[in-house]
Amino acid sequence: MANEKVDVVIVGAGASGSTYAAVLAKAGKKVVVLEQGPDWQLSDLISSDFWGRRVKPAGAPFLLEGKNPVSYGYQGGWGVGGAALHYFANFPRLLPNDFRIKSEHNRAHDWPISYQDVAPYYDKVARDVGVSGDAKAEEIWRPAGDPYPMPPMKTFRNGQIWLKGFESVGIRMVPAAVGMNSTEYKGRPACIYDGWCHVGCPIGALANPLVTYLADARKAGAEVRPWSSVTRVLTNAQGTKVTGVEYYDQKKERQVQEASVVVLAAWAAQNPRLLLNSSTDKHPKGLANTNGLVGKYMMTHFSSGTLAIFDENVENHMGTTGAQYMSYERYGKTAHKGAFGSSFIVAGTALKTSDLGGFANARLDLFGPELTAFMKRAARGFSRIGAFGEEMPNIENRIELASDKDEFGMPLGRIIHSYDDDVPKLWEANFAEGLAIAKAAGAKEMWSGRGNIPTIHLMGGTIMGTGAENSVVNSYGQTHEIPNLYMAGPGIFATSGASNPTYTIFALSLRGAEQLATKWSTIAG
Amino acid sequence: MSQMERRAFMKGAAGGALAFTVGGIEVLLTPAAARAQGVPLRTLTAAQAATLEALGETLVPGARQAGIAHFVDQQISIPADEALLEARILNVRPPYANFYRAALAAVDRASQALNSGRNFAQVGEAEQRSLVDSMRQNKIEGWQGPGGPFVYLLLRSDAVDVVYGTMDGYAGLGIPYMPHIAPTKRW
Repeated sequence: MANEKVDVVIVGAGASGSTYAAVLAKAGKKVVVLEQGPDWQLSDLISSDFWGRRVKPAGAPFLLEGKNPVSYGYQGGWGVGGAALHYFANFPRLLPNDFRIKSEHNRAHDWPISYQDVAPYYDKVARDVGVSGDAKAEEIWRPAGDPYPMPPMKTFRNGQIWLKGFESVGIRMVPAAVGMNSTEYKGRPACIYDGWCHVGCPIGALANPLVTYLADARKAGAEVRPWSSVTRVLTNAQGTKVTGVEYYDQKKERQVQEASVVVLAAWAAQNPRLLLNSSTDKHPKGLANTNGLVGKYMMTHFSSGTLAIFDENVENHMGTTGAQYMSYERYGKTAHKGAFGSSFIVAGTALKTSDLGGFANARLDLFGPELTAFMKRAARGFSRIGAFGEEMPNIENRIELASDKDEFGMPLGRIIHSYDDDVPKLWEANFAEGLAIAKAAGAKEMWSGRGNIPTIHLMGGTIMGTGAENSVVNSYGQTHEIPNLYMAGPGIFATSGASNPTYTIFALSLRGAEQLATKWSTIAG
Repeated sequence: MSQMERRAFMKGAAGGALAFTVGGIEVLLTPAAARAQGVPLRTLTAAQAATLEALGETLVPGARQAGIAHFVDQQISIPADEALLEARILNVRPPYANFYRAALAAVDRASQALNSGRNFAQVGEAEQRSLVDSMRQNKIEGWQGPGGPFVYLLLRSDAVDVVYGTMDGYAGLGIPYMPHIAPTKRW
């Protein structure tokens, strides 16, 4: 079934798709957003770890291979709001050194833009969605910018107790920048610090798309169609322009949505899957993939968690799932001797009992009566800190189409991911420093959160660059090969940095959407 | 979500219960209540449920009475995109029933090999603990099925869910639950 042609069809209603929808709808464009999953409302966000799994990935699975298979189930999204419906809302930005690793270290590649190109959009996003923090305090590590619109969030003993330890190793901690309301903001209430951010904030104190850009988009006339599974991007006969998308609706019936511009904002893994599945005689390797770079350079973060029990009640149920304190003190690419890559440090998170992040998992080796005893101790005195690490882009880490197909006949995606030798070195360096911090902080018991090296925050796959010889898109997310086809989200990151990615996703999406709106007639015409 | 779906979802969540079938009629019960009332299983066999209860109790004391078998049975009997299982987070490929059948069979096969042909639920606590500890460390020779450490992780998570993830579980640890939107009936 064909639908009335619109100006732009956006695939995915998460952080990036919502931002594009808001900007373009406000610019007067007719916008349709197709979302694979349900149309969640705030009232669906039950404060429970297992009910919270309703908003985690469903639908066609990705096949996971490599030495360090990507684990996306905890962080991915399902339905309107996407992963940003249940994210932790830590809002660190990338720093200037992230944009020029090749120039400064002859590693990986430079971004085609600098920090100064993105900085105004960080500031604008902060005003749009509401960010709490202390921008001035961050200026010991980054260029000055606008102050955040709200003061820092409250801190609690589970965060404060670590400060002495950080000081002992020379790490300065500052109030964490978070996409949460420390005060009422734009009609949304202040946070009540009950620590259920990770299953979704139903009062709208946390800046999820439902209460920020997607709300703006809907108010400006954008139409959101849930339960719409896009399977292909369509092109004209010459292969020079995209003309819309093919999708399947809730009744599993095939639909076509024609549009002047297509924006894929379906997640770092799904965007390449769609491009690869949209091959034609003019694009035999998939759209925007003449250079074979679609699906390449997948990247993740990894974290070194230091866990401890203190001999006092740290009230670890209080606060937010995001951090109370953060530091870029180890963000230099060579900050740790013998290792390479940035580390971003956080402290002070509210904890729950169950789920992946719950403190029952803090000692996975314990079971039976020993676990029961641990749970009682941990309920009173357990806390943790973490250091996110940066993975360098590697062309072998990639998305491919598999032979298995989903219910619509679309090949499943296969994510192949292995860490290189840099990663364990940086992982270990942060563990060693974490234990020193815990000891100096006066922890009674302390240990490193080991196991397999985690894979967090999937990025890359449609990276940006200076041209088709090194990348899939330009700095706005516009594909080099087809000017009216855009990529949005963490897939366009050229390198990963070590900062939580969503603030940068919002900023780059805002930058790309504004460019598209400004040059609409050239691009869409 | 559609209005109809939302009503059904909210009824279950706010009712603090899952949908179980009793006498051909769908009723909302907590897994503990479903177990106490002897609600028939939909997908697991009685033998699989016995293994799951014994394994759950070994991993997290209290899991049997909290209804781990009824929880898992109900969850693997509904569409995967509605499931509340940790399996969803840990990237288990649906249908989830396949994983649980394979995992429970592997545990019983290992138990039979180690304990003169007896299933896991039929051996003593010491033997159960020994098997679980070996499974956790991937030290069971001839193990057949999903990886032992992964079975340990996932089944332990299910047991933690039903024992510590509920409002009663928080109360037992003395932790304020502090919900925005509360599951009622302490589930």
